[in-house]
Amino acid sequence: MSNLAVLPIIIPLLSGIIVAFFAKNVKVSRVLAALFTIINALVAVYLTSVVFTDGTVILETGDWVAPFGIVLVADPLAAVLVMTTNIIALASVFYAPFALTVKKEQHYFYAFYFFLISGVSGAFLTGDLFNLFVFFEVLLMASYALIVLGGEKVQLRESIKYVLINLFSSILFVTAIAFLYGVVGTVNMAQIAERVQEVEQTGILTTIGILLFFVFATKAALFPLFYWLPKSYIVPNPVVSALFGALLTKVGIYSILRVFSLIFVYKISLTHEIFIWIAALSMIFGVIGALSTNNVKLIIAYNIIPAIGFIMMGIGMFNEPALSGSIYYLIHDMLIKTALFFIVGAIVYVAGTSDLKKMGGLIHHYPVLGWLLFVSAFVLAGIPPFSGFIGKLLLLEGALENDKIIIVIIALLTSLLILYSIIKIFVNGFWGEQRHIEPTEKKPLAGFLVPVAFLLSFSILLGVGAEYIYPSIESISTYLLNPELYIDSVLKE
Amino acid sequence: MIIAILAPLLVACFIPLLSKIKHRVHTGFFVLLVPLSIFTYFVTFVGRDFSTQLQVTKWIPSLDINFSLYLDGLSLLFVLLITGIGSLVVLYSIYYLDRSERLDQFYVYLLMFMTAMLGVVLSDNIFVLYTFWELTSISSFLLIGYWHYKERSRYGALKSMLITVFGGLSMFGGFVLLYVVTGTTSIQDMIAHPEIVWNSAYLPLILAFILLGAFTKSAQFPFHIWLPDAMEAPTPVSAYLHSATMVKAGLFLIARFSPLLSASEWFYIVVTSVGVITLCWGSYMAVRQTDLKAILAFSTISQLGMIMAMFGFGTKIAIFAAVFHILNHATFKGSLFMIAGIIDHETGTRDIRKLGGLATIMPIAATLTVLGTFSMAGIPLPFLNGFYSKELFIDSALHLEGGMSTIASMLTAAIPYLVVFGSIFTFVYSMYFLFGIFTGKHKADQLPKPAHEAPFGMLLPPIILITGVVVIGLFPNLVNGTLLNHAQSAVGNTLYDVEKIKFWHGWDAPAFQVTLLIISVGIALYLTRKKWQHIYNALPGSFSFNRVYDALIKQLDRTSEKITNAYMTGSLRLYMTIIIAAIIVVTTTVMMVTDGFVVKFDNLADVSVLELVVAGVMVVAAVWTIFTNHKLAAILITGVVGYGVAILFILYRAPDLALTQLVIETVSVALFLLAFYHLPQLQKRDDSTGSKIVNATISIGFGALVAMIGIAAHSSSGFAPISDYFIKTSHTLGGGDNIVNVILVDMRGLDTLFEITVLGIAALAIYSLIKLRNDKEAE
Amino acid sequence: MEIIISILAGILVATGVYNLLQKQLLRIVIGTVLLSHGAHLFILTMGKLKRGQPPILEEGIVQYTDPLPQALILTSIVISFGITSLLLVLAYRTANENETDNMEQLRGKTNE
Repeated sequence: MSNLAVLPIIIPLLSGIIVAFFAKNVKVSRVLAALFTIINALVAVYLTSVVFTDGTVILETGDWVAPFGIVLVADPLAAVLVMTTNIIALASVFYAPFALTVKKEQHYFYAFYFFLISGVSGAFLTGDLFNLFVFFEVLLMASYALIVLGGEKVQLRESIKYVLINLFSSILFVTAIAFLYGVVGTVNMAQIAERVQEVEQTGILTTIGILLFFVFATKAALFPLFYWLPKSYIVPNPVVSALFGALLTKVGIYSILRVFSLIFVYKISLTHEIFIWIAALSMIFGVIGALSTNNVKLIIAYNIIPAIGFIMMGIGMFNEPALSGSIYYLIHDMLIKTALFFIVGAIVYVAGTSDLKKMGGLIHHYPVLGWLLFVSAFVLAGIPPFSGFIGKLLLLEGALENDKIIIVIIALLTSLLILYSIIKIFVNGFWGEQRHIEPTEKKPLAGFLVPVAFLLSFSILLGVGAEYIYPSIESISTYLLNPELYIDSVLKE
Repeated sequence: MIIAILAPLLVACFIPLLSKIKHRVHTGFFVLLVPLSIFTYFVTFVGRDFSTQLQVTKWIPSLDINFSLYLDGLSLLFVLLITGIGSLVVLYSIYYLDRSERLDQFYVYLLMFMTAMLGVVLSDNIFVLYTFWELTSISSFLLIGYWHYKERSRYGALKSMLITVFGGLSMFGGFVLLYVVTGTTSIQDMIAHPEIVWNSAYLPLILAFILLGAFTKSAQFPFHIWLPDAMEAPTPVSAYLHSATMVKAGLFLIARFSPLLSASEWFYIVVTSVGVITLCWGSYMAVRQTDLKAILAFSTISQLGMIMAMFGFGTKIAIFAAVFHILNHATFKGSLFMIAGIIDHETGTRDIRKLGGLATIMPIAATLTVLGTFSMAGIPLPFLNGFYSKELFIDSALHLEGGMSTIASMLTAAIPYLVVFGSIFTFVYSMYFLFGIFTGKHKADQLPKPAHEAPFGMLLPPIILITGVVVIGLFPNLVNGTLLNHAQSAVGNTLYDVEKIKFWHGWDAPAFQVTLLIISVGIALYLTRKKWQHIYNALPGSFSFNRVYDALIKQLDRTSEKITNAYMTGSLRLYMTIIIAAIIVVTTTVMMVTDGFVVKFDNLADVSVLELVVAGVMVVAAVWTIFTNHKLAAILITGVVGYGVAILFILYRAPDLALTQLVIETVSVALFLLAFYHLPQLQKRDDSTGSKIVNATISIGFGALVAMIGIAAHSSSGFAPISDYFIKTSHTLGGGDNIVNVILVDMRGLDTLFEITVLGIAALAIYSLIKLRNDKEAE
Repeated sequence: MEIIISILAGILVATGVYNLLQKQLLRIVIGTVLLSHGAHLFILTMGKLKRGQPPILEEGIVQYTDPLPQALILTSIVISFGITSLLLVLAYRTANENETDNMEQLRGKTNE
C-alpha cells in the first residue's frame, strides 16, 4: 500500500491544470511543462525501481479494499510502460517549442499534453476495467483536443472521423464491460480473472472477450480496424503525431495484452489463433500502406500498423519468448515511432513539403538529420544490434516454438519492406542533388535533433545493452504467464 | 581477436577528426595501418601446426548471444583475404581517390565494412554472425551510394541493399529455426551434434532459408543482378567488397554450414545446380558487356558460381579446390579490378569499344593483365595459380558420383557439359578483356584523357597481387599444407591429403584433355567472335532478371498504392461498415463455436404495461430518426428516446440517474439545436438500394449481436455482485445513505475525478476550438 | 423484462448504427447518441431490474437494486455528454469550414 502508484497519474493531472492557467505566457508554460515532466519522469523511474526490487505496488484508492474500490496496480509491466511513456513525454516536451507555433502553444497544448500523459499512465496502472474505460476517455478527449489544435480544414475533416470511430469503440467498451459485469458481477480485473477461471471461461465469456478485443483493437489499429489511423495521424503537428503514434495505439495493444494474459486465457486455441491471423494481416496491410505513398508523414503513420502486428503476434503465440518479444517490441516501438515522427517533422520543416518526390539532397545541409533517419530505419526494421532486433528475435523464436512457420515468413518479409519504406526516404530525400521546394539557406535544427538523439540512445541501449534489460522483461513475461501472481497480489487472499 | 574485429570500427570513429588535415596527408595512410596490423597479427597463425582457437566475450548471455570468436582454417583464410586485400585496396585508394572527395566518409564506411566482414567469418554465434552480416550489407549500401548524386549509384545501392537484406533476413529465419531446433547458438556446438539437425523435420526449411541468404550475398543466379549495378561504387570498393570479400560471405556461409546441411540431398541438388547455372550464365553474359567493370562483375558472378558448385559437389577434392580457388580468385580478380580502375583513371573511360592498343602506352598494366587474365582463363602454365584450382574443379566435376534420386543423378550427368560450357566462355571473356584493351588500334580521339601509365603507387597493389598469382603458381605447396588443408578440413571435417599440388599429371589426365578442349574451342570462338555477335545480342535478348527486379519494385509500389487506395477512401461510412462487419463476423463465429448463446427464463423481472409502452415509444422514436428528413424533428425525436431512457431509470429505481439523464438530455437537445441551426436542412437520402441493404444488414446484425450477448450474459450470471458490499458498508464506512452517491464520491472516487477531468478537457477543447477561429477571423 | 430491455437496447444500437452509416453529420451524431442510450440500458439491465428498492439506505429495507451499475451509468452519461458537446462543436466547425455537412464530400484526396 503506497501512494506511489497514483503519482504518475496525479502529477500530470495537476501539472495540466497549472499550465492551463499560464497558457498565455508561452515562456512560463514551457519552463513549467519541462519542469513538471522531469519531476514526473523521476517519479516514474523511482516507481519502476521500487516495483522491480519490492514487487508490485498496489494502491487501494480511498482505502476501499479490493475488489470493491478501484485499485491501482503498478506491476512490472505497468511500471515499465509508465516509465517508457515518461521518456517519450520528456523528449516531446523539449521538441514541442520548436515544432509548434506560439499560437498553438497558447491554446493549451501543454495542458492537453499533460492530460494525455495522465490518461495513458492511468490506463497502464489501473486494475479496474471500468476505470480503464474512464482513463481511455481522458486520453481520448485529450487526443481530440490535440488533433484539432490549429483548426485547419484538413484537421477538422480528419478529426471528426477520428472522434466518431473512437466514440463508437468507447460505447462498445462500456457495453462490453456491462456484459462482463452481468456474468461475473464485478469490474475489478483481478476478480474478473478469478471468476472467469472458476467457471472455466464459458462460451459467453469468450464471446464478450472477443468483443472487448475489438474495442482495444480499434484503439490499437489492428487489421481490419485501422482505417482511422493513417490520415488522422498526419494532420496534426508532428509532436502530436509522435505522442499519438507512441502512446495511443500502444495503450490499445497493452489492454489486449493485459486482458488476454490475465483474464481470457482458457480458450487460447480459439482466441489466440484468431490473434495470430489478425497479426499477420496487420503486418501485410500496414506495410503495403507504407509503400503506397510518397508522403513521408504517411509512411511513418502506416508503419505503426505492422509494428502493432508484431506485438500482436507475440500475444497470439502466448509463450515465454513470444511474450517477452511483444513487451520488448512494445517498448522499442514506442521509442522509435516517436523518434521517427520527430525526424519526419524536421524533414517537413526543412524541405517545406511532405512529398518525397519533391525532396532531394537534404544531406548536404542536414547530415545529422540524415544519419539519424538512417539509423532509425534499421532500428525500426529490427536489424541488429538495435532494439528492434531483440524483440524480433524473441517473437520469431516464440512463433517457431509453436510451429507457426507462415507468420514467421510474413514477419521477415514485412521487416524487409519496412526497411524499404524508410530507406526510400533516405535515398530519395537525402541523397542526390539538392532540390527543395524552398531553396533557402540552412535552417537551424538542433532543437529538433536533440530529442531524437535522446530517444535513439535508448533504442541503442535496448539493443546493445540488452543484457541489462532483457532479464527484467523475461521476468515480466513469466509473471504474465502466471495470472495467479497478479490476482493474489491484488486480492491478497 | 575481438580487438582485431573491433579495431577498424574504433579507428573509424576518429576518421572525421583526420579530415581536417587531409590536404596535407591523405587519410588513407592512417587507415592503411589498420588492416596491415591485423594482417600481420593473423599471418602468424599460418603454419602446418595450426590449431583452432575459441575466444568468448560476453554480450547478452541471457539470450545466448555472445562474441564467441572461432578461428579455424576456413576463417583464417578469409581473415587473411579481408585484411590482406584490404591493405592493398586502401593503398590503391590513396591514389585513386582525390583529396577533394569526402574521404572521411569513404574510409569510415570501408572500416565499418572491415569490422563487419571480420565479424562474419570469425563469429561462432549465429546471431552475432547475423549482426555482422547485415552490417556488411549496410556498409556495402553506403559504399555503392558513395557518389549518390548519380542516379545509377542510388539505384544500385538500393538494389543491393534490398536483395542482400532480403537474403539476410531469410538467413536470420534459418538461424532462429536452428536455434529452436538445437537449443544452442554456437555453430560449433551444432556441428558437434549434427544428428539433431539431420533428424529435424525442419531441415529442408533451414536449408532453404540459409541458402537464400548465401545465394543473395554471393550473387548467385537469379539474385546476381545486384552485382553489376554495384559497380557504381568507386573501383577500390568493387575490387574489395564486390569481388574479393563480401560476395564470398555467401560461400563462407555454405562452407561453414555444410557439415550440418549437406546431409540433405537437396543441398547437393540446389547448391550444385545454382552454382553451375551461375557459372554458365555469368560467363556467357560477361562476353556481351562493353564496360570493363561490367565484364569483371559478370566474371565474378561466374567464378562465384563455380566455387559454389564445388561446395555443392561436396567431395573432398572439390572442397579443397573451392578454398584454393577462393584464394586464387581474390588475387587475380582483385588485380584485374584495380587495372580496370587504372584504365578508367588514366583514360577517362571504361568503355571497351573506345579502348585499344594501350599495350605500348601502359606496358606494366598490360603485363599484369596478361598474367591475371590467363590465370582466370585457366591456361595451363606452371606459374599461374588459376590453372591449378581450375583443373581440380574440372577433375572433381568429372569424378562426381550420382546422387540417390533421379534428379540428383540427372544433375550429375549434366554437370561436366555445363562446366565445359561455362569454362569456354570464361576463356573467351578473359581474352576479350585482355586484347580489347591492350591490342588493336589506339583510338586516342575517343578518349576523354590522353592515356599514360599510372603512378607507381597505384600500380603497386596489383603488382603485389599478381606476384601472389605467380608465387602461388610456381610454389602451390607453400599455401597447401599451411593454410588450404586447414581450411578444407574445417569444411569437410576430414582432411584431403594433397601432399603436393602437381602441375603435370600427364597427357592422359582427363582434366587436362578437357582443358585443352576448352582452350581450343575458346580460341575459335574468340577469333570468330564477330560472327557470333548477333547471337550474343539476340540471346537472351532484352530479357534479363534486372527487368524482373525493376518490374517487381514497380509493381510493389503500384500494387500497394492500388490496394491501399481501394479501401483508404476517406469515407467514414466505408470504414464503419468494414469495422462493424468485422466485429459481427468474428464475434458471431466465436459465439457459435463456443456455444456462447444461452437463454434462461428464470430469474427475470416481471413485465409491466407501463414499461412496455415506454419501450414501444422509444422503439418508434428510434426508428423514426432514420426516416425523418427534417432537422428539427430528428433532434426532437432523439430527445424523446433520451427522455424514454430517463423514465426507464425511474421505473428501475434509479432516481439519481433519472435526474441526471433529464438534465443532460435537455441540455443536449439545446446544444444540438444550437449547433445545427446554421447547418443545412437534412436532405432526402439518395442512397442506392444496394447501400441501403448493406446499411440495414450491418445495423440489424450488430444490434442483434449485442442484444444476444446481453441476453446470454444476463442468463449466465452466477456470481454475487460486489455491490452487496457497497450496500453493507455505505453507511458505516462511506458515511452516506445514498449508495450511488457514496460509490461515486468515495468507493469509485477516482472514476469521478477523471470524469470531471474529461469534462474539463472537453470544455477547454471547445474553448480553444472556438477561440482559435475567432483569432483567425480577427487576423 | 431483462430480455425485453436487452432487445430494446439492441434496437437502439441498431438504429444508432444505421444513422452512423449515413452521410450527413447530424444523422451521424444522432446515431452516436442512440448508441450510448443503448449502452446505458445494457448496463442497467446487467444489474438486474427491479430487485429491490432504490439504493438509498432506509431503516427496515434489506433489498436494494444493484447500485454499482447506476454509478457506472452516471459516470458514463457525464462522459458521453462531454464527448457529444465536443462532437457538436467539432461538427459545426467542420461543416462550416469545409462548407458541407456531407461526410462523403469530406473524404479528402488520396495521399495528400
